[in-house]
Formats: sequence, C-alpha cells, structure tokens
Amino acid sequence: MTYGTRSISRRRLLGTGASALALGAAGEGLTFGLTSTLARAATETQKNSNRILVVLELSGANDGLNTLVPYADDAYYKLRPRIGIPAKKLLKIDDHHGFSGGMTGFEQLFKDGQMAIVHGCGYAQPSFSHFTSMAYWHTAAPNSGQPLGWVGRVADTLDPQGTPNYIVNVDDAQSLAVNSSLHTPVVFNEPERFMRKGDADTRPMFDHVEDVSASENASQKYLVEVARSAREASQQVREAWASYRTPLDYGIRPLGLNKIASLIAANMPARLYYTSYPHNAFDTHVHQSDVHARQLTYVSDTVTAFMKDMARIGRADDVSMLIFSEFGRRVADNTSSGTDHGTANLMFAVGKNVHGGHYGAPSSLTDLMDDGNLKYTVDFRRVYATMIEGWLQHRDSTSILRDKFETFSMFA
Amino acid sequence: MPKRPGCSKHARMFIVPFKPESLLSLVRIGPNGQLLQLGLVIFSKTGNCGSAVNKLGLELKRSILGKHMPYQRLRTTLIVAVWGAFCAGAEAADTCSGGAAWTGDLAPIAAGDWNVARAAHLMERAGFGATPEMSAELAKLDPARIIHDLAAPQGIDNSALAAFDESGIFDAGLDPFPASRPALTDQAKEKGEALGVKIKPSGNRRLQPVVDRFFYWLRASKLETQRLGYWWANRMLNTKRPLEEKMALFWHGHFVSSEEKVRDYRKMLKQLQLFQTKGLGDFRDLLIGVAQDPAMLAYLDAAVNLKGAPNENFAREIMELFTMGVGNYTEPDIREGARAFTGWNFAGTKFVVNDESHDGGEKTFLGEHGPFDGVQVIDIILKQPVTADYLAGKLYRFFVRDEVPPKLRKELGDVLRANKYQIAPLLETIFRSRDFYSSASCGTHIKSPVELVVSTYKKLGLGVVPGVPDFHETISALGQTLFWPPTVAGWAQGRSWITPGLLIERGNFARDIVFPDIGFIPPDRNPGEDFQILQVSEKLARGLDISSATVPDNKDQMATANMMADRDEDFNTRYGSYRGWQKALEKVKPLPRHTAPIDLTKMLMTSKTPPKTPADVVDYFVARMFVVPPSPGERERLAAFLEKELGTKDIGHAQSYMEEGLRMLLHLILSSPEYQLG
Repeated sequence: MTYGTRSISRRRLLGTGASALALGAAGEGLTFGLTSTLARAATETQKNSNRILVVLELSGANDGLNTLVPYADDAYYKLRPRIGIPAKKLLKIDDHHGFSGGMTGFEQLFKDGQMAIVHGCGYAQPSFSHFTSMAYWHTAAPNSGQPLGWVGRVADTLDPQGTPNYIVNVDDAQSLAVNSSLHTPVVFNEPERFMRKGDADTRPMFDHVEDVSASENASQKYLVEVARSAREASQQVREAWASYRTPLDYGIRPLGLNKIASLIAANMPARLYYTSYPHNAFDTHVHQSDVHARQLTYVSDTVTAFMKDMARIGRADDVSMLIFSEFGRRVADNTSSGTDHGTANLMFAVGKNVHGGHYGAPSSLTDLMDDGNLKYTVDFRRVYATMIEGWLQHRDSTSILRDKFETFSMFA
Repeated sequence: MPKRPGCSKHARMFIVPFKPESLLSLVRIGPNGQLLQLGLVIFSKTGNCGSAVNKLGLELKRSILGKHMPYQRLRTTLIVAVWGAFCAGAEAADTCSGGAAWTGDLAPIAAGDWNVARAAHLMERAGFGATPEMSAELAKLDPARIIHDLAAPQGIDNSALAAFDESGIFDAGLDPFPASRPALTDQAKEKGEALGVKIKPSGNRRLQPVVDRFFYWLRASKLETQRLGYWWANRMLNTKRPLEEKMALFWHGHFVSSEEKVRDYRKMLKQLQLFQTKGLGDFRDLLIGVAQDPAMLAYLDAAVNLKGAPNENFAREIMELFTMGVGNYTEPDIREGARAFTGWNFAGTKFVVNDESHDGGEKTFLGEHGPFDGVQVIDIILKQPVTADYLAGKLYRFFVRDEVPPKLRKELGDVLRANKYQIAPLLETIFRSRDFYSSASCGTHIKSPVELVVSTYKKLGLGVVPGVPDFHETISALGQTLFWPPTVAGWAQGRSWITPGLLIERGNFARDIVFPDIGFIPPDRNPGEDFQILQVSEKLARGLDISSATVPDNKDQMATANMMADRDEDFNTRYGSYRGWQKALEKVKPLPRHTAPIDLTKMLMTSKTPPKTPADVVDYFVARMFVVPPSPGERERLAAFLEKELGTKDIGHAQSYMEEGLRMLLHLILSSPEYQLG
C-alpha cells in the first residue's frame, strides 16, 4: 500500500484539490506582467508571510503502531500478544487503521480532512539512542554533527535579515532544532519566569538600549541586539500570556500549545514555533498500555484544542503543525508488556490547509529488518521538505536540508 | 584640512603630527572661547597609545568643559596634554588590539608590544581570566616565556590542588552495569541475581532489591558526576596551569562523551584525567587514548562493535568529528574503519581487546590495504593532510574567533604538521601571533557559560567556587552542563551561547552571587519534582502500601483502576527510584553550601587608589571585570545610579553603608552585554 505522492485520496480530488487548481490559476493571473523572479518572490513572500509552522516533538520514541493501529493486519496481533489493542477498542478511521481509544480529537481532525498521516518515516542506518536519533531529527542530518537545527536553518533562509522573535521555543532549554546562525530564538517555558531578576531600583536601568552602532565589534553588536530582543520578547511573552483567555480545554498536558496560541493571538512576529512532550515521556519499555494511551490522549486533546483555538481567533488558515518522534518502537512487544527502541514511525501534519489523508507507505509488519524492526519507507526529511516547500512556500528546500527530497502534495 | 560633518562654524581642528603615529584632535569651541566638545581620534599603526590618549582626553573634557578659557591657552593645554598622553601611551600602552593590520598575521608580537591589556586578553583565552593585579604582573614579563609556560606547564608546581574526593559509591557488584532496567530484570529472572543482589525466593516484588540497586547507581553516579563538575570548576579557578584545564575543556567538547549514556562517574573522571594529562601533548597519544577510553567506548557503543557485526558509530565519529570533518572519507571507509576497531571494549574502567570479537582480516581504508587494527587506522587518519588542518581550525575557533579563513587554517595546519601533531607548539604560535592581538580577535569571543562563571569568581578574588548558587544548576541554566554535552558534536559555541532567555539567565546568575537566594534548596539533597519522589516518600511515611504510594499525584492517573490496589508484581520502578534516591543520599558526599564571600567595600577601599566618586567605582569594576568596556554613556548612567543609591557623590562618606548599593551596581554591570565578551 502506498499513499501520497501519486495516489491522491478520492476526497481530495473531489474536494479541496479542485478548488486549489482554480486558485492556482487565479494566482497566475494576479502576477501577470510581473515576470521577474524578484517580483514573483516578493509577491510570494507577501502572500505567505503569515504562514506559521508549529512543531511538536514527542520525546522518548512514541510507539506509532499503538498510536494508529493497523488492526486489519494479523501480524500486528501476532507480534503483540501482550499490548496489541483489540479492534473494538479503537477509533477506526478506515478499514485498516484505528487510533488509540482516547484520541477522539485526532479521529475528528482526520475525518475533517485536516490531518495528513505519513507512514514509514525513518532514515538509513538508524540510531537506537534517543539522544543521538533526536539530534538527527533536530538537525535533519542523520549520522552527522551539524550544529544548526533544521528549524533554525529554515529561519535563516526564509528571513536572512534576522527579524527578532522569529522563532519561539517553549522549553526549559533551547532545542537543537532551533539553533540558528542568524536568529535568536525566544526560549522560555514558564512565561511568568521569563524575567530578569532585579530590584525595583535597578529595573529602569535594564530598559535602556545602549547605542553601539559605532562599534566595530560584531559580537558586541550581536549581544546588544539579543539584549534588546530579550527585553522586548520577555515583556511580549508575559503580556501575551497574561492577557490570553480561551474557552478551549487543552486537557491535562497542554504541552506548550496554549502558550503558543497566546503568542499567535497577540500577533507575535514568530513564524516558527517549537515545543515538546518532554523528558523522554514516550519511552515505554514496560507496562506501556495504560500510560501510553493516556499520553496519546493528552496529545490528541491539546492538538485539537489548539487547532480549534486558531479557528476561534481567525488564524486557522495561517497555522500548520508537524508532529514527530525520534524513532518508533520494536514491532514485537517485550516480555515486560512494553516495547523496545525501534525505527520507522508515523509523522503527522495538521491544519486547515493540510490535505488530509494517508501518505507514504506503511512499513511491512512481516518483512522486517534482521533485528525485528520496521524498514522505513519514507525519509523523514521528505516531510520536512514538504513543510518547507508546500507550507512555508520556500521552493528550495535542498539548500536547507543539504539534499534533494521529494515532497508530498500535501498543501494547496 | 579634512572637514568633519556636524561641526559648527566655531569648530577648529588641530593636526598635531607625530611619528610614527599621526594624531588628529577634534575640538568645538563656543563663541566665548569655552570648550564645547573635545574628541580625540588617534591614527596609529599599532594602536599602542590610543586608549591612553582617549582617556586623557576624556579627563581633560571633564575638567575644562564649559569653563571659559582663552583660546590660545586652551590650544596649548591640549597640545601639552596630547603630547603627554602620547609619551605615557608609548611607555605603558594598554589596549589589546594591534589593529586590523595584524589580522591573519601569525608572526609573533615583539616583546615591546606586550602590555597589560594583552596579558589580560591572553589569560581570558588561554585560562579563565585574571585580576588586574595578575595582568599587571604578567605585563612585566616576557610574553614568549609566559606563553611557553602556559603551553608547557609540566614544571609548574600544582600540588596544592586536591585530587577528586570520591564519595565511595561504587562496589564490585555493580560491574558490569546492565544497559537498561529491562535488561537487568531479565538477567535477574534468568540467573536468580543481578548487580550482586539475589532475588527474594517468595513474596511480592521479588525483584525489588535488584531494581532498587539499579536506581541507586543511576542516581548516585549522576550526583557524583555533578560533584566532579564542581571539583573541576575549583581546579579551573585555582590551577597554576590554566591552559591545561582550558585544553581539557576543549577536548571535553571535542571528544564528546556524556554521563547521560556512560552512566559511570568513574569513567567520566578517567576521561577528564586523560584530557588533563595529555591535552597539551602529542595528538596521536591522545587520540589513541580516547579510542581506548572506557567512557568513549561506552558512549559510542564499542560493546556492540563485533566481528561480523561492526557498529559504525565510533569509526564515523572519529573521522567526522574528531579528525577530518565530513567530505574527506567515504561510507566504505567508515565500514572498514569500524572493522578495525572491533573487539575494542572496556571492563569496568579498563580497556580490553576481545580477540575473538576482533576482525583481523584485510581492510581497505582511505586507500590503503592491510589487516589494520585501530591504532593503524588512527595512523592512516593522521597521515591525511586534512586532519591537521581540521584540528588546527577547531582549536583556533575555540581559542581565538569563530571565523577561520581557509588560508590561515592551512598555515595553522602546517604548524601542527611541522611539529608532528604536538599541540603545545601550535598553541604557542597562536597565542604569540599578531593575529591573536588583532582587532578581529580582541574582545570578540562570547564566553562559554563555564568561562563566564569561573572567570567571574576569579575576578572577584574567590578561592573556592560558591555552593550557592549551585554550580551545576547555574551552568545548566546557562546551557553548558559539564559531563552532559548535548550531542556527540559537542557545544555549538559562539553566538549559540546567547539566546534572549540565556542572556537574562546570565544576568540572573550575577544577581545570585551578590544577593544569594534565601530559599535555596540543595539540588543534590532534594529530588524536587523528579518522578514525584517526595510525594512517594510522604505517602509511605503515612503508611500507604507501595502501590498506592507510587500512584502519581494526578487526578487522571488516579482513575486508572489497575494502579489503585497493591498489585502483585515483580517490582515497582517508582518505588525503586525512591529507594535509589534515598540510598544515593546516604552515600554521595554533600557539596559545600557557602555563598560567595565577597566584600566589595573592602575590595574598593583597599585598592591602590581607593575611589572617591561613583564614577571611580564604575571605572574600578569595569577595569576589574571587563575586556570590552561598556560605552562612556553607559558608565555615566551606572555612576548616576550608584550616586542615587548612596545619596551622595562622596564615597568616603558612604563607605560604612555602601555595600548593598555596590552589589546592585555589580549586578547591573555584570548583566551588561559587554560582560559576555572575553
């Protein structure tokens, strides 16, 4: 079974696909006469300058096979006698796949055509270390030591002038994924704590911006620029968060998405947001069924609430989300009713502009690698390339990903 | 005569020619002959006297600004002052930068070029900073000698430094430590014991003691590794061989291993000692030492690099990150290289070769054929011209600046090759070079968190790293956790040290020194939020059974029916984690928890020229702590702040109560962007 690149789902052809063609034609008409590449690039930038990408990382290696269960495949139940989820407990989305029981939000997003599921995502010579593999996904450079993150490189390419507050990373520490050479990502976890300590008397001193324009020391200029950004960003973040009210329930673990919503609502200039389900939460070696189902419910709840929140504030057209994990888990469950580190996994793209459906090819559950792992069918960087070219409308993902990756037709 | 934009019709200019320098002074004089503005611009080939003249010019401005002064007298005063400044400058020049002309020039500076600012610059980079007193002493000596002593410090007595005081958390039963908790329990079920602990013959949770011990070691090794970091920081602070520790820090970010995966402080300590003892020596010795180092072997999966099933992790990293860089080898080179390292493994903290796992067959590696082993592969790597260039470039980025022009990289590589991969001669070349003292190099380095923290303590005159704030927490918050590098590529360095959040954290660190947190909780004694251990502990004390006590405090999870009863199970990991913490607390020695013993009032008033005004105080701290001073405007604002805090301009009057104001000032000064530069 292969989804995506060529075989477009029927719903898409009948629905948004056709209108996308019409819109494409209209777009051509609008730029009539402005034939220079520069003018077209300028128009495109303008047209898409509101497009925002939110990346959600599920750390610890989420078990894709128990997230979206291939219940029609007998091999699944044979290999997972302890933790295989019975078909009747699943939220079935078609005659082959069903979501884990608590993921009602994901089920709805898929049925609304707002969720693309990419199967079989992985890379050659996979690492089984969380640490190493996550670095590979962060840098989009498996088996390499690239110091900049792929999100950071996207920012550097899309915005070479280094607009302040262009990348936001909700976390205690900056993710490698957002390491950038031209941007200073706004990194915070608790908006209330994204704050300089200082006595009342010292505070006005921090509000002053030093003029170092005459300096020839580039590092000094950079530091003063970050200081300005820190001052502005920390205030913006705290104010955005303080004034943010939503009727939507983000559930037990909002995973930073509510904070991101508050910044989007406050018109933060950021176009790239990064957040995670942290601390290797999905590393389910033992007795995984309950805890895993619970965590998936949290993810489903918050992602769905976030998307509804975007619609509520009128920004649903501007926001797409990418969800990934550093690898999947072994097909066969282990004797502790858990799963060990694996390889290929699912990725999800979510948003009003996403052409929902299946993409890529699910890895075979019978034709496995020697160590009992899935053979990957899609290099995960194809999905990154799709987000860069299809969603963020930067035509040349090759320069960012350092290689040419075929994209999926996932966006209008 | 050149015209300067913005000068009024009253402006006059004087060109006072000097040789070899020429000097231009820019003066604005009001209609009544009063001095409105004075600027001095020095054109200087060496920049030797620029700062001295500028400083004098500022003082002149301060003293005569606004005063009516006959034009002729003013002119005379200026010329005399400038002449005086030039003479003073020629005698005791105090700027680091020799100008842009020195950029890229590896020729050594002359003994006559040596000065206090350059000594300070050298110690920032080759060590962990210096107090002005130390820099002044160094400025009196021959730079070639100082730099040689830094790079070849074997003769310098460092015996005052204490060895790492191990807590004694290890015992023989813990080796070999299983790869994971499931591997442990499988082993225990199979053999009836694991980690030197037998399983209970009957009853509930028969494997619990084994699991408790597993978590004990994880926790204890982690805490002990944090103690190791604290010990190392004290070494950096007090060593008489600063470059030795600085090189160890470089190698730690180059030959990366992390406690996260190694999970054995003994191996991390051993690796650090390798860097400390061999870091300035022969790179070949060091590289072989690393390839046979237990922490590295553990970190890069040596245990699974076996004949017939080679693991490419180490072979890849040794070429990509340790020696050559991407693009200089092929995937087959990696596979063949991996075969040469098969069978290399560790037993405890010892390197072992398992002959039966070693692939002794023919290999083709970087164009050579033979039945290579690991050492031979290393020798082939060292024969590649790119290896010396790559390493020299990486050292240069760490010690000098981010940009390495290809020509310079090649020249540095030549130095390394000519010296047969001896590290010390290359470092001597770098630290003596005009390039190292050029405008591109002086004050352009963004201090790493460890450099920032250690040099701050050093410049404040501390002999011991404070326990409050906690060293490990501080460097982690700033983004550089020693022994826990983020990836095998090490820390990205340079601008990546600075994010808005991290810059704020740097300022908060300064405040934590001068106003220590009263609510401080020692993180090596208190598990905090980790795994809800505190809640488990409290519930057990209330008499709850283990299952109930280990249910997380979370409404949703409480509803999970099968977690409610005291389950029949082999073991309970949450309970094991709790017991592990408890045992680790018994075994791991506590860190000292004193705050920074600073007395800024005393420091100022016992200085050579005690300050009289708030401006003097600011100048004192800037001279003491900074390489790139904040702008004059900033300094004026800081002085105004202090004056307001003290309620007077008279430091003599404020002496008895000024400590708090001084500390606020120091917090402000150390929070400035310029303080991040070294």
